[in-house]
Amino acid sequence: MDRRTGRLLQRARILSQIIFTVLFFLLLVRSGGGDAARLPWAGLFFYFDPLFLWVSLLAGPFLRIFLLALAPLLLTLLLGRFFCGWICPLGAMNQFFTWLGARRGQRRMPVARKPLRLKYLLLAALLVASLFTVQLLGWIDPFSLLTRSAATVILPGANALLQQALLAGPEPLYELGRRVLLTVTQRSFLQAAGIGVIFLGLLLLNLHRRRFFCNYLCPLGALYGLLGRWSLLRLAINDKCRSCNACAAHCTYYGSPFKDYLKSECVLCFNCVSDCPEAAIDLRFGLPVSGRRPALDLGRRRLLGASAVGLAAAALPLIAPARSARTHSFLRPPGAVGEKEFLEKCIRCGACLQACPTNALQPAVFQAGLEGVWTPVLVPTSGYCEYECHRCTQVCPTHALARLTLEEKKQFKIGTAVIDRSACYTYADGYNCAVCEEHCPVPEKAIRFREVEVHDFRGRLRRVRQIYVVPDLCIGCGICESVCPRSDIPAIRVGAEEEQREIPYG
Amino acid sequence: MKRRTFVRNGMWVSSGLLVPALARAQGAPASPAAARSAPAVRAQTGGAAGVIQVKGTSPYEITRRAVAELGGMNQFVSRGDVVMVKPNIGWNRTTEQAACTHPEVLRAVIELAFAAGAKKVVVMDNTCHKAEDCYQRSGIEAMARRAGAEVRFSDENRLVLHDFKGEFLGKWPVYRDHLEVDKFINVPILKHHGSSGLTIAMKNLFGILGGNRGKLHRDMGENIADLANGFRSHLVVVDAWRVLVRNGPVGGRLSDVEERRTVIASPQIMHADVAAAALFGRDARQVEFLQAAHERGMGEIDIAKIALKSLSA
Repeated sequence: MDRRTGRLLQRARILSQIIFTVLFFLLLVRSGGGDAARLPWAGLFFYFDPLFLWVSLLAGPFLRIFLLALAPLLLTLLLGRFFCGWICPLGAMNQFFTWLGARRGQRRMPVARKPLRLKYLLLAALLVASLFTVQLLGWIDPFSLLTRSAATVILPGANALLQQALLAGPEPLYELGRRVLLTVTQRSFLQAAGIGVIFLGLLLLNLHRRRFFCNYLCPLGALYGLLGRWSLLRLAINDKCRSCNACAAHCTYYGSPFKDYLKSECVLCFNCVSDCPEAAIDLRFGLPVSGRRPALDLGRRRLLGASAVGLAAAALPLIAPARSARTHSFLRPPGAVGEKEFLEKCIRCGACLQACPTNALQPAVFQAGLEGVWTPVLVPTSGYCEYECHRCTQVCPTHALARLTLEEKKQFKIGTAVIDRSACYTYADGYNCAVCEEHCPVPEKAIRFREVEVHDFRGRLRRVRQIYVVPDLCIGCGICESVCPRSDIPAIRVGAEEEQREIPYG
Repeated sequence: MKRRTFVRNGMWVSSGLLVPALARAQGAPASPAAARSAPAVRAQTGGAAGVIQVKGTSPYEITRRAVAELGGMNQFVSRGDVVMVKPNIGWNRTTEQAACTHPEVLRAVIELAFAAGAKKVVVMDNTCHKAEDCYQRSGIEAMARRAGAEVRFSDENRLVLHDFKGEFLGKWPVYRDHLEVDKFINVPILKHHGSSGLTIAMKNLFGILGGNRGKLHRDMGENIADLANGFRSHLVVVDAWRVLVRNGPVGGRLSDVEERRTVIASPQIMHADVAAAALFGRDARQVEFLQAAHERGMGEIDIAKIALKSLSA
């Protein structure tokens, strides 16, 4: 292929990367407070992820929609790691930052096999751990990583910056921006700083090494690499080659089709073809000849070692107190399956965080134990579970939040409210309030008041409408806690008491 | 290489542009340049301002009829006015659940305001549930847009301190949209309310407030009265087409809703509320905020002393 064809392929690749990245963000933005009926589309990219096919196989019942992930797997056997180069939105962003960081006359690096191997070992460790019910693939899977980072950092951050910029400008412009671009309320997330620093760090590492995450860390890339070494399509050097090694100049993994060709690492970016002055690189299609499958040597011992690390990593959460604790302080979203099963099914992607209209769903820090980091918890001080909404249950790709109809969700008991009598105005101070009663969405009211005579803080006898909770009616939505007017601690709080998901039923 | 440098530099420059924006955001909020002075507002007390109560078969028609009986919208809206039409959009509930103002009542008011020469009609509320959900599910956003009104969300950046100069309610943050309009038409729905007994027009004014409104529940009746006394509603149109008679203000159960097929209109907020309370079956003297309003001299609390005209359309 000549340079022109190379440029053409390069441009086609960039176009494809842009299209899929835009599609990814469109789906994500739309799942935020969008029409619940259209939400299943939000999981589109997840269904094409073979790692999550694996998650669904292990955590059963198997969701047939994940069979879609066989498509990229099979295509990889044909084409190699096209997915990384042409489709993956996180790959595209890494590529963009790689391009930003490129400098003229940069010294060519030799291909470094050791760090390239890291991702395979990581994959092995994560897969082994997942066999022992410790499911951490979502921490680092590119779709989980990007969805989580976008939902908690990129989108809210962009919104905040845009709002401040618009506020500095003329008012009509601000009004227009507010109508068409900004969210009505600014969203905020626990750990946004942590998630953001990790994400920004990963992007900046591209300035240090080309597509850092993709080459050295991505477990999905590793999976595709394992298959890619068997692919029918490959790059080959023809006899026009004058051994100038110009093809190495922009190779994504610092190799080249001339020297250091690693089929398992090649993402078909076609930078080499457009760099070759002699049209010496061809695409060949055919069965891989045995002994001529250029790929990384992983090493049996290293793989065994990685598996052992996976085993050890699995043991730690298994012996952590969180697994056997009888009480816990966090709430799970509606539809959440029992905690043990939940941790296996949840891929920490944050799709539910994005879908939650009230910002109630938050990525856990350490409330749910170390393995529960970034799983969703419902935090009533930041939002409440909207009675007329079931969006989170519609977007969860792995059904860690079961698909509930709106009617089912209204019945689903997340927890139970409890009044703190030492803080509630109607008990502690002896005056009226009842904001929680007013907001309780249960039609027959799970929060009520009775008129009693109490001494107020001045010692005077007053008639006060004292609040009480009807635990059997309470669904634990948390709106009471979220609207309690106290400025220090909410005087009514929702805990996991009587949460429905831990009660065997059906 | 140039392109790359351009993008890279562009990123630095644009982040630099944000600095003044950030600096400004840190600065003091706009001074409360209230377009409407409170003392003038207090003049709305007074004898037996008329109340019209119309019962009929269409919420739209009875609304029009009620305003016509008051002498027409021209009495309240002048040519070129910017008019705020303030419904109750507090909850993520449907029209049938009767927690929010009926969109047909709203449509009639908006159309009448335009017919009377209004330059612009704005519809907004500070909701209790998530605003987008309330605006959509109540049907109010779509209806108001169709009727030509501008629908706005309450924006924290537009809060200013307003002095209500009341006994209990002094300075409190208000969305300045409500202070910047020429006329304010209060279009509440009549319904049961746990802690204040009822919510009608005076309580509907909570929707102009920002801040931690829950704090105002401590002396709810007094605060509502101060609020209504310190902020003028030029016209009140109470939607009592469907009335939530139990488990308000949010409700949800259709068995708690009764059809009353009525609209009550008056330029006198207290009298509108007293008449609506009577329709609900409550003696106004038993309603804390009406008692408090009466003590402030905002109007008659005895329904017998109010010029109430009831008719069927």
